[in-house]
Amino acid sequence: MSNDVNYGTIIKNGIFGENPVFRLALSLCPAVAVTSGVKNGFLMGVAVFFVMIMVNGTVSLLRNFINPKVRIPSYMFIIATWVTVTDLVMAAYARDVYKQMGLYIMLIVAFAIVLSRAEMFASKNKLLPSIVDGAAMGMGFLLALVLLGIFREFLGKGSLWGYQILGSKPLLIMILPTGGFFAMGLMMGWLNWIDRKFFGGTGGGGGGH
Amino acid sequence: MKEMLKITLSLVAIFIAAGLIMGVTYKYTSPVRFIAEKKEKEEALKAMAPDATDPINPAGNWTSSHGKPYEYYLATSNGKPVAYISSTAGKGYSSYIAMLVSLDTDLKIKDVKILHHGETPGLGDQVEDQGFLGQFKGKALSQIVLLKTETKENIQAISGATISSRAVTNGVKDAVQTLVDKYGSGVKMAAQGVAK
Repeated sequence: MSNDVNYGTIIKNGIFGENPVFRLALSLCPAVAVTSGVKNGFLMGVAVFFVMIMVNGTVSLLRNFINPKVRIPSYMFIIATWVTVTDLVMAAYARDVYKQMGLYIMLIVAFAIVLSRAEMFASKNKLLPSIVDGAAMGMGFLLALVLLGIFREFLGKGSLWGYQILGSKPLLIMILPTGGFFAMGLMMGWLNWIDRKFFGGTGGGGGGH
Repeated sequence: MKEMLKITLSLVAIFIAAGLIMGVTYKYTSPVRFIAEKKEKEEALKAMAPDATDPINPAGNWTSSHGKPYEYYLATSNGKPVAYISSTAGKGYSSYIAMLVSLDTDLKIKDVKILHHGETPGLGDQVEDQGFLGQFKGKALSQIVLLKTETKENIQAISGATISSRAVTNGVKDAVQTLVDKYGSGVKMAAQGVAK
């Protein structure tokens, strides 16, 4: 890791180059489960966004203290702590938001993307770059979920954010779990095609991370 | 040996620090949460019987088929009963779905409200939609049956969320059964009185 950090690269990397869902193919389980609607995807994305910033920051601060041999349990505990604190604080002080988002928060403990960024980035970098990486990855996750949500909700329910637009359900299968995999595959292929056609990329390698 | 001690100590230090952070957060947030939840419950009770002018107080307790205690309430307006309300819950896919059920004085369902649950977002949480919950309105005890086919007489399950649908239906049925047992005979007499 070099000392001069390029924040622009980190941000671009999180949102496009290594988009958690479409490129790293991590946390696909929640990505399929909650994207039957735009609203669900968005709320889950926001929750992950905040948790990732806090976890990356903490792991980065403690990176010289955490013993490499027990780093995974240490990261897990840091993640679980921040998720629990977020849950408790929101339950007390943001009741209205909690009623909408409460279901998603506890699920974040087991998200591969959070653990993966702690291991891949925050444990090797200084505080600020780590926080930026957490924010960028969280944003990438959020955008991916919203994109999938728009695609699935529009085709499956004919609505967006719960508001009816088409008045019919063109492709009901899209909001069922099966449709989640279809949507994800189509979206991944489409983004790879754009990358190759317009940006001269090699497309997502997938795996390897 | 020294290495082992170091590893253990570093883990223990993190665990203690994390435990402290969570404990302190819990200590300061739980009273606020408790008060907020109590207030929400009172508001929810009031919303279940908007025509009740007297304060709604618990009238007694009952135990559901899954062994948990719930309260039922009598909503009155100038001393005359306007609605019977009960708290209840059904065991869903990943949580207990806590609800309030209110009955009209003719023992038909007036309203069903889900207080909180932990079902899967996008699937189980669809039981909160009025498209499903609205089906209960105006139904009598014998009509509360969950079907997987289209129905107007009974309750239609949500495709992809059958377990959560069943949980809500069973919870509502328990509560209605209880309220009918407690208040049914009195209502019949009152109805006969009116018929004359």
